[in-house]
Amino acid sequence: MKNFKYIPAESLEKASQKKDDSVLMAGGTDLLGMIKDDLLTPETVINLKSLKELKNIRYNAGKGLEIGALATITELAENSDVQKRFPVLVQTCKEIASPQLRNVGTVGGNLCQRPRCWYYRGEFNCLRKGGDTCFAVDGENKFHCVVGGGPCYIVHPSDLAVSLLALDASLEIFSNGKLKTVPIDDFFILPEQNETKENILEPGEIVTKIIVPEIPAGSKCAFIKFKERASWDFAVVSLGILLNTNGSTIKNGRIVFGGVAPRPWIDTALNTKLTGAATDEKNLKSLADSALLEAEPMSKNDYKIILVRNLLKQALIDLSKN
Amino acid sequence: MANTKFIKSEFFFEEDVRESVAEVPVDKHQPWPENEKLKVVGKEIPRIDGYDKTSGTALYTFDINLPHMAHAKILRSVWPHARIKSIDTTQAENLPGVLAVITHKNIPEIKWFEDSFLFDTKIRYEGEEIAGIAAETEEIAEKALKLIKIEVEELDFTVDPGQAMKETAPKIHEGGNIVGGNPFTYERGNFEEGIKNADAIIEETYSTQVVVHNPTEPHCSVANWDGDKLTVWDSTQAIFTVRGVVSRALNIPENNVRVIKKYMGGGFGSKLAGGKYTVIAALLAKKTGRPVRLTLDRREMNLAVGNRPDSVQSLKLGAKKDGTLTAMSHYAYGSSGAYQSGAGCSWPFRTVYQCPNVKVEEYTVYINAGPGRPFRAPGHVQGTFAMDSAIDLLAGRINMDPLEFRLKNYAEKDQVYNIPYTSKKLREAYEAGAKAIGWEKRNKQPGVGTGRYKTGIGMGTQIWWGGGGPPAYVTLKLNRDYSVEVLAGSQDLGTGTYTFVAQVASEVLEIPMERISVILGDTGVVPYGPPSGGSVTSPSISPAVRDAAEQMKQKLMKAAAAVLSLKENDLVYKNGTVSSKSDPSKSIFLSDIMGKINEPVLVTTGAREANPEGYMIQTFGAQFADVEVDTLTGKVRVKKIVAAHDIGRVLNRTLLENQFHGGIIQGIGFALMEERIIDGNTGKVLTTNLHDYKLPLITDMPEIEVIIVSEGDPMISNTGVKGIGEPAHIPTAAAIANAIFNATGVQIKSTPMTPDKVLMALSQNS
Ligand SMILES: Cc1cc2nc3c(=O)[nH]c(=O)nc-3n(C[C@H](O)[C@H](O)[C@H](O)COP(=O)(O)OP(=O)(O)OC[C@H]3O[C@@H](n4cnc5c(N)ncnc54)[C@H](O)[C@@H]3O)c2cc1C
Ligand code: SF4
Repeated sequence: MKNFKYIPAESLEKASQKKDDSVLMAGGTDLLGMIKDDLLTPETVINLKSLKELKNIRYNAGKGLEIGALATITELAENSDVQKRFPVLVQTCKEIASPQLRNVGTVGGNLCQRPRCWYYRGEFNCLRKGGDTCFAVDGENKFHCVVGGGPCYIVHPSDLAVSLLALDASLEIFSNGKLKTVPIDDFFILPEQNETKENILEPGEIVTKIIVPEIPAGSKCAFIKFKERASWDFAVVSLGILLNTNGSTIKNGRIVFGGVAPRPWIDTALNTKLTGAATDEKNLKSLADSALLEAEPMSKNDYKIILVRNLLKQALIDLSKN
Repeated sequence: MANTKFIKSEFFFEEDVRESVAEVPVDKHQPWPENEKLKVVGKEIPRIDGYDKTSGTALYTFDINLPHMAHAKILRSVWPHARIKSIDTTQAENLPGVLAVITHKNIPEIKWFEDSFLFDTKIRYEGEEIAGIAAETEEIAEKALKLIKIEVEELDFTVDPGQAMKETAPKIHEGGNIVGGNPFTYERGNFEEGIKNADAIIEETYSTQVVVHNPTEPHCSVANWDGDKLTVWDSTQAIFTVRGVVSRALNIPENNVRVIKKYMGGGFGSKLAGGKYTVIAALLAKKTGRPVRLTLDRREMNLAVGNRPDSVQSLKLGAKKDGTLTAMSHYAYGSSGAYQSGAGCSWPFRTVYQCPNVKVEEYTVYINAGPGRPFRAPGHVQGTFAMDSAIDLLAGRINMDPLEFRLKNYAEKDQVYNIPYTSKKLREAYEAGAKAIGWEKRNKQPGVGTGRYKTGIGMGTQIWWGGGGPPAYVTLKLNRDYSVEVLAGSQDLGTGTYTFVAQVASEVLEIPMERISVILGDTGVVPYGPPSGGSVTSPSISPAVRDAAEQMKQKLMKAAAAVLSLKENDLVYKNGTVSSKSDPSKSIFLSDIMGKINEPVLVTTGAREANPEGYMIQTFGAQFADVEVDTLTGKVRVKKIVAAHDIGRVLNRTLLENQFHGGIIQGIGFALMEERIIDGNTGKVLTTNLHDYKLPLITDMPEIEVIIVSEGDPMISNTGVKGIGEPAHIPTAAAIANAIFNATGVQIKSTPMTPDKVLMALSQNS
């Protein structure tokens, strides 16, 4: 580990001015591990925790939920408004990491965390680290992406990103002295755009808030995460679903997949089929079987497609009941 | 010590037959009655080190903090196979805070594995030791590692044993990649004939992965010189082995090396050998003139301190319609890693089930990866997985219940040596286990269940040595104030040795546990005892404790007879008091006896008696798994494991259950999630931390029921104890595999049986 200077942020302005060779720290659960493993060698670590105003969680009827980027995952899960109106977020939080990590890890940090590709986290100078190969292509790619990859094939590790995208959230970002709001769908990028980062943030930009609109009346939501062990495990695949049905047809909905792509993934073809689709079991099954048709699995991860379709089928059936 | 003689003795230690001439006591003690009639032994007694451990006062090796102590780190190879051309340590040495750097250039050549050295210029695996650095802090040492400049010639490598066996593969050692040059072979009867006589034949290939021990406590040594005398605190399962390794490496007599290990957070076999890190710490301590602590991190533990070799096992089995096995063959290979270690796994295959015609051929193969080390029942875990999977398949072919099939082929004798067992209660274990799991509830037709979650029940059979044997010694010191110190030639690797030693002494001397202290794990103090591996500790040590205590009792009786002027055979001993049977008013307490004979401390030395000649000692058992398979995801949830075993006498029910829980948890890890994964293109390990290397967690745990069908085995020793550490772990994976088969109708032939494999197998089947 390289020594670094540690600065508690005095204000958003000051924190965002430090750009070269400095990194932002929220809970540090991901960042410090990366520094210890020499994956990052910053001169300066700016701790955002001193910006208390970024910790608030506020609900405004009609407008929705505002989650300060520095709120911890536990604080989000324990907030009474969230529990009442956004139970899917609570469900998601409980699937993340372990209680200890959730007590320290923040919502903003969860969205901005770096990928878990074992080559990236190991001693491999791969594309994402500025090297010239992706070792996963003909290597151990069981946990890599089946869609949206190339030239890098990571999956995005955040669980909250999947639910928040299903809920059509936006992020408020402090950028060049101003606040801007970006739909979460536009926040995450694919490697073809830039294989060294996972989102649009430029050095010095800070996520300040996550804004979640009200869940449309009558809609049901679910977050389903599949992991190899019962706890403390990243998603092999996950599903975030928002579904509004009226008796026998789907009025509208949104389905997001995690663990299949370098960003939380919206299968557009699948999503456009939702409105008006019949909710009988046979139709839901064929709907699910049409997921990820454009996927191109790697040598060791074709199981993910079956897994996604199976879980989706079950989720759609469950959500369309009564 | 009482009367002794020298006899030929044989015992098994981690797959090896150890034959020697051993000094053993002549007088045998009466076997103990069943546990019910004992006062302390067999009871649920909390471990005596429990308070120290839970309160945080227990001293582990890492807690040793000596004045002026320096901290060391090891530079390890990032290449799987290379030749070092040059090393430049100048920059590292110049870093402020660095105290010493050692490499092959500035230390004497120290022979290590086979044709290699402590620091070898030929690198054979990623993680191999290249240099050691001592510095004021661990951080400085770590920084200095990065300043060492190494030039290498990278060599072609091989990390797959199947590929490494081929003529064209890069050679890891001069003699080629097959360890010993030849396979291990075994044959009895005529396999081909047996196959001809079979009504049903199955032929399948099973494979198992490399798993890494990953004990909670890291490997750690602290070395301190006082003149020519070296003291090493080491997290080890084998204090005397470490002493030998260190003394040979440094070319100093063993009396100049003292190895101490008080408490330990697990080893599972990865701490059975003397480590390079220990010798490196000692060399750096010598060079700096300061104590040195060297701790491995999790990454190093996953690269360089052992693993369970993988296996590819091709099995062919034939049986008659009535279930009689007619022929069995086993062809297997597994990777030893870069240096010699056993990858054989056919022992259970050769001996568990009655079969006249058996053929075995197995290869242990060098690859460019960290060397294997014994891992909780080496060979048996992988061997039992394949063997018992094949047995269930074959039983299915002839529509026979798998348990009935096993009973049909029950071996009454050891089939390899053709000798009887001292005791075998496997039949009782089958019966008790089947009852507890509800065997009758299993699917008569595998996979018949419907719906998302399919349940099934399966079983596996366990065999393992675990009889222990001589030499193992215990010194017992009785103090005049009615307190006792027991010094045993052993070490407690977390299994509870401290506690059972006190229990046995307390049982014999009728002195309360609180007045007995146990001293283990210090070569400067304790008499010799075996390494804690092979499940030999309690079967070797407990009889020696009893012997020492019985001798002490006899000594007190003799002394009392002299003091009271009575005949010895008129005396009885009770709770420390010796009294006359004929005249109960004549009695004397041991403190007074010792006062009269002017002995403040009485000393006896006990020894483990010989094992009976012409008998095979084995532990037996069966585990039964009840699992649920999610057919949508391929995920297996183990709902319940019943472990029914014949392990001789139970010394302590609580410690026994601890061992079974640990063994079964590790069995679930092996069966369902743990795997060391190496990138084939670079030869580098990808699973060097604990979220990529998936150990099972508490939420993955099933209900566990432990049933012991045995009382003491009096033929083995005066306590009749057999070991349980390894037996507890052996059949878990096989039982889970067969339960998955029973649930789904699909056999998963490769461990870990992760959801992707199960899901793909299910989808290919549907
Ligand atoms: C063992 C382990 C298991 C885990 N399992 C899961 C899991 O199952 N599911 C899951 O979703 N996550 C998982 N995580 C990730 C965990 O949730 C994240 O580490 C955590 O949410 C990150 O939050 P943090 O506040 O600690 O971020 P930090 O570690 O402080 O920061 C992470 C990154 O985000 C950047 N960052 C943080 N806040 C901001 C901000 N406001 N604006 C701009 N950039 C910012 C930092 O610069 C850094 O690059 C796991 C992590 C670990 C270590
Ligand atoms: S998938 Fe991406 S992060 Fe992983 S090795 Fe390839 S380029 Fe690197």
